[in-house]
Amino acid sequence: MKLADDLTCADLVELVTEYHEGALSPPDRQRFEEHVVFCEGCASFLDQMRSTLTVLGRITEEDFAPETMDELLRAFQEWRRE
Amino acid sequence: MIAYKFLGAGGVGPFSGFAWPLPRGRSAGPWVEATPSLCSSGIHACLVSDLPYWLNSELWEVELDDPVRSTRKLVAGRGRLLRRVEAWNRDAMCAFAASCAERTAALADGSDALAGYSADTAVFAARGQASAAAFVSARAAETASGPAGYDAERERQARWLADRLGLCT
Repeated sequence: MKLADDLTCADLVELVTEYHEGALSPPDRQRFEEHVVFCEGCASFLDQMRSTLTVLGRITEEDFAPETMDELLRAFQEWRRE
Repeated sequence: MIAYKFLGAGGVGPFSGFAWPLPRGRSAGPWVEATPSLCSSGIHACLVSDLPYWLNSELWEVELDDPVRSTRKLVAGRGRLLRRVEAWNRDAMCAFAASCAERTAALADGSDALAGYSADTAVFAARGQASAAAFVSARAAETASGPAGYDAERERQARWLADRLGLCT
């Protein structure tokens, strides 16, 4: 790997969803994982994301009260506008 | 084939979060199977030459069934843990990190461009952060002598690990 191929921590944060979904190409996945090996901050971030996915992955739409669902949708819409 | 695998504390895969079934006494652990697909699934391990890229808190000797070699890794459909390499412990991690700091300091001697790398490696070594020290040391070597320098430093690191841990290469 050359210097120019390095991922930054910001790159890794951008790619974490694709990583978890298995959507990264093999070279990108390798660069992602090599970064995690030497970067404690990103290793912690990845752990937190994994834990979050494990917990939230069990939740379905039916688990939310209608008012909570409305609030979440509103929050996402505002986030997109920003 | 016998290969090596770094795991997190308690035998947990650092990327998958999979808790590996550990060997009991002198018996190998049970076989674990997974569809082999480069990077995304399968049983991943590596050769001694690739160890510096995958450092973690536990090093295990593994048996792989019919592995395929890829860049810096092996992937197989079946593997099992044979034994933990006990020599890879906190002392070894600190000594390895210190070797990276020494190497970087030697490279940086008289070079302003490499002084920052040397300072960073010294900090990581003082904290016992082996993987960070190894990475920065390799980057310093690349800055000094191009991509071949990076590879040469990783090779030096692999030799250090093989010697210290008594690994078969």
